[in-house]
Amino acid sequence: MLQHIAHRLLISVPVLIGVLLVGFLLLQVVPTDPATVMAGPTATHQEIEAIREAMGLNEPVIVQFGIYLGRVLQGDLGRSMISNTAVATELGNTVGPTVELMVASLIWAVPLGILLGTLAAVRRGKLSDRIIMAVSVAGVSMPIFWFGLMLIQYAGFHWKLFPFQGRGGPLWTLDGLNHIVLPALTLGGVFIGPVARMTRTSLLEVLGSDFVRTARAKGVSERRVVVGHALRNSLIPVVTLIGLQIGFLLGGAVVTETMFAWPGVGRLAVGAIVSADYALAQGAILVLALSFLLVNLVVDVLYAFLDPRVRAR
Amino acid sequence: MTELSATPAAILPDDAPTERLKRPTIWRKLRRDKAAMLATGFLVLVVALGVLAPWIAPYDPYDNNLRMMLKPPSEAHWLGNDGQGRDMVSRLLFGIRTTLSMGLLAVLAGGSIGAILGLLAAYFRAMEGPIMRVVDVLLSFPSILFGLAIAAVLGAGTTSITIALTVAAVPSIARITRGAALVVMQQEFISACRAIGMSDMRIMFRHLLPNCASTIFVYLTLQLGQTILLGAALSFIGLGAQPPTAELGTMAADGRNFLFFAPHVSTIPSVAIFMIVLAFNVLGDALRDVLDPRLRQ
Amino acid sequence: MRTSRPAVTMGALALAALLPATVLVGAAPAVAETSVTVMRTIDTDRYDPHKSTARSTAEALFMVGDTLVALDPDLKTVHPLLAKSWTVSDDGKLYTFKLRDDVTFCSGKKFTARDVKASIERWLDPETKGVVKNRAGDVKEVRAVDDYTVEYELTQPYSELLYQMTQHFHTIINIDQVKALGDDFGVKGFDGTGPFCFESWEPRNELVLKKHEAYKWGPAFYGTSGPAKVDKVIWKIVPEDNNRVAGIQANQGDATQYIPYWAVDQLEANPQVSVTKAPNYFWTYFVGFKITREIADDIAVRKALNLAVDQKAIAEGPFFGKAEPAYSYIHPNVLDYNAQGVDQSIFGHDPEKAKAMLDEAGWKLGDDGFRYKDGKKLHLLAYSFTNIWQQIMEAMQGDMRKVGAELEIQVFDATVIWGKLKTQDFDMFTMSYPYVSAGDAMNLYFPSENRPTPNRVNWARDDTDQWLKEGRGALTAEDRFAAYAKIQKQVHDAAVWIPIVHEPMFVAAGPRLKPIPAHGIYGAGLYKGLGIELK
Repeated sequence: MLQHIAHRLLISVPVLIGVLLVGFLLLQVVPTDPATVMAGPTATHQEIEAIREAMGLNEPVIVQFGIYLGRVLQGDLGRSMISNTAVATELGNTVGPTVELMVASLIWAVPLGILLGTLAAVRRGKLSDRIIMAVSVAGVSMPIFWFGLMLIQYAGFHWKLFPFQGRGGPLWTLDGLNHIVLPALTLGGVFIGPVARMTRTSLLEVLGSDFVRTARAKGVSERRVVVGHALRNSLIPVVTLIGLQIGFLLGGAVVTETMFAWPGVGRLAVGAIVSADYALAQGAILVLALSFLLVNLVVDVLYAFLDPRVRAR
Repeated sequence: MTELSATPAAILPDDAPTERLKRPTIWRKLRRDKAAMLATGFLVLVVALGVLAPWIAPYDPYDNNLRMMLKPPSEAHWLGNDGQGRDMVSRLLFGIRTTLSMGLLAVLAGGSIGAILGLLAAYFRAMEGPIMRVVDVLLSFPSILFGLAIAAVLGAGTTSITIALTVAAVPSIARITRGAALVVMQQEFISACRAIGMSDMRIMFRHLLPNCASTIFVYLTLQLGQTILLGAALSFIGLGAQPPTAELGTMAADGRNFLFFAPHVSTIPSVAIFMIVLAFNVLGDALRDVLDPRLRQ
Repeated sequence: MRTSRPAVTMGALALAALLPATVLVGAAPAVAETSVTVMRTIDTDRYDPHKSTARSTAEALFMVGDTLVALDPDLKTVHPLLAKSWTVSDDGKLYTFKLRDDVTFCSGKKFTARDVKASIERWLDPETKGVVKNRAGDVKEVRAVDDYTVEYELTQPYSELLYQMTQHFHTIINIDQVKALGDDFGVKGFDGTGPFCFESWEPRNELVLKKHEAYKWGPAFYGTSGPAKVDKVIWKIVPEDNNRVAGIQANQGDATQYIPYWAVDQLEANPQVSVTKAPNYFWTYFVGFKITREIADDIAVRKALNLAVDQKAIAEGPFFGKAEPAYSYIHPNVLDYNAQGVDQSIFGHDPEKAKAMLDEAGWKLGDDGFRYKDGKKLHLLAYSFTNIWQQIMEAMQGDMRKVGAELEIQVFDATVIWGKLKTQDFDMFTMSYPYVSAGDAMNLYFPSENRPTPNRVNWARDDTDQWLKEGRGALTAEDRFAAYAKIQKQVHDAAVWIPIVHEPMFVAAGPRLKPIPAHGIYGAGLYKGLGIELK
């Protein structure tokens, strides 16, 4: 098992370097001149040139990437070109809130999705199956910002149930919990559908397999068949799905964070890219890619836990 | 959705052979699914509306008239007017046209690239490592950020969105194709083809690809819905189509400021997106039920 | 940054006793503070008066720092602030300021003439790479004659100097702290003499300012000389319009000047929210022509397109009737506006006349509804900002289409567009800008040396340059007016811009606050923040 993890970690390194390279090249061709951004609307040509020179933007591209990569490997992500804060500090401030948001979204959406999917599978073909599936598909088909705006307008503004602006503090405080409800509902909302559908499909498949038939033949109650035997086996594809959908979730986080003024890394990445703050954008991209890979590593481990066959390999 | 990619055939080896399917069977099975037929009918209608938009739109979708700004639905304008006083019916028809062609183009282009990558990775063992690492890179790069960067380079607009959506579609389709192709590769007829000295290209495109086609097709259908939604998300962060282009995602995102006093401006395109994506998802699900061998027991 | 702890505690306790408990819900701190959240859309790069021209920089610097002189809400009268009084020599080259002797920085350091000298010197030092140094005038030397007397000497007169001195670029800083912080100045800390003190900044999220207890030198027009009436001001970035509008009504944020136009009526109708309008505010939206480009170089086209555009409809459309249609490049109420010379009819709305003008200029209507001349289509490419500009440009696009001109719009994000606007690849561009006087505006956009930015129209004329120089160096108000009046007539007659609207400034205060008087200076509606007060 450890070997498996080690191997996965090892092949993640070229992927991360690849992500950095893609990010770097993309940012190079972005026609924004950070110096112009810094100088602002009323600056004159000479002033912009002066800033440009001072920021050292005249080095060749390859040299810049080489230097950057070397530093990153030593754990130095550089400084934001614009605010001069260490990129690590800025990321440190924003990664926490994003992780919070992701966890808060997954923690209710995944169990609910699995529950709904199980219900639908057990009642296959019945009305409740149809309704659950319809709602799941509907959830996936909705633009996320529309759902978020509705929550702000009704749950937040009209009914005054929860705050909808920014982060209220750490999650263990009342304020912190209150503030995360609406963003987590928005982001988690888009996740229930896929989980429910996956659970249903895979559970139906397992329910049709030999060992379930055997269990049923032995007179095990239907409830125990489903919960005790089938569900665990059917969770493997669900776990994979969650791993793959993390990227999608990160995309949703960008929109959610913007909408709720949540101080997360998605918003940071958008801001950094549009203002051509190279080091900061790269740092944010790196963190996002890293989290994607980490989640998938966890998924792999869970896999082994759920399916001994993988562990054996 | 990525349900198919979530059941990697490599991990759960499938004993049911993916032989070529006969069309009439699929159609007959699909016809029994009422929801799928409804979705298909709806999509046919939507595509027709999009194609015919220039001829059936009651007004010029670009003719603005600020005096008619945000007017609610009326007899002359069935769906009201938008923030520029333009006729919403006409905007909607042209919006469907733009959005669908963007989504289709992106999914077809991304699907083709992804499928080729997936086939290569499955067929040539030596290429598997590098190709799958590239796919991993693309998969780990949040597509919304990719879209952002592309838009920064090329300027926001339909071209940028289409490119970003194409790139977003590549990695998952590559994965799914590889998974499906690996299963086919285990079958005897591939070895047989090799034995009679058939060229690699011929085997890949004449035998391997057709046998994975149904899986890829199902996935493309599901991906189309996702692609349209991603386009809407890009519009939300300001990377939508350039004015005055009518595009559903951009219309929904731009109209959101009027959501609570002129709700039709944002709600109509949002609902249109919702219905189209829903229809693609329902159809994709049904196709999968019909085509996916494991459920065809 | 040291604040006197006992005083904070006492004040806060007193206030806490008066406050309803609702304000204190959440993680109640041991000492209750009155904290006010101000919402805005975008953050700045750094809070350094010499390195940033951004409005978001000015907003905070006006609160944490002071200038020698302050600007009245009429945007014409200059009031004493750190300077008690001043005299100007007859040749207009020597300004002598008498400073207050009771001013301290947030750090507790005493404010003296040496700080004024050090602030200006840092700005002008080539090492600093300061921005818009022309706003300091042509400084020969700044001398600290004694602790409370400053001599500000110029090599040539600068008629605008006192107005410029009210802007945030002239904020007096503590040079010791600047040196100690190095590159972190304006990021990790800022030491000023303003009504608030810089406490912490999380870029793109929030900036926390704390009351400056010792503050008692606020400008006269506030009706209070300080200290501030709230303990804390938190500037928070809330990018989504809907969120700010709902937020101010639901006590999520307490104040904002970033009210979308569609929401002004809604907020005014809400009895718990107060919306105030700045009595004077000079921020004008215009679309400029790059007059060196083919087609845009034709004055007939420029004039015709000006007549095609319906400013009134735009003011009533995207601006929901809240903005004033603009028929001149600068607001008629601004200092030195040339009311006689500027022919506003050039910028009116008359599509029929526009068509006739285009016909006459040889632009003939083609079958596709667009005009052609020598086989060339009447097509112009515009670079545009996002948000409301997108709506404005779409309206303009429609107007131009009606007279047979095709407008192609390329929208760029606010940060990308500055780089795009440096190029020569577009025919038209969108811009909106703040100004304090006619001279301010003319000096920014029409000197030939300011090409390609901010003189993006590529205006280059020797007589203009000469008049600009005369205006800058004028010794009397009459001479200054005469010089700037000539330029105004010249550039208006050439129709190099399409003026769109003069923007209003609204400041909304939520249920917890009293109405906040809005100030028009540099678009920073809260100015010193002394008007923020709990109900």
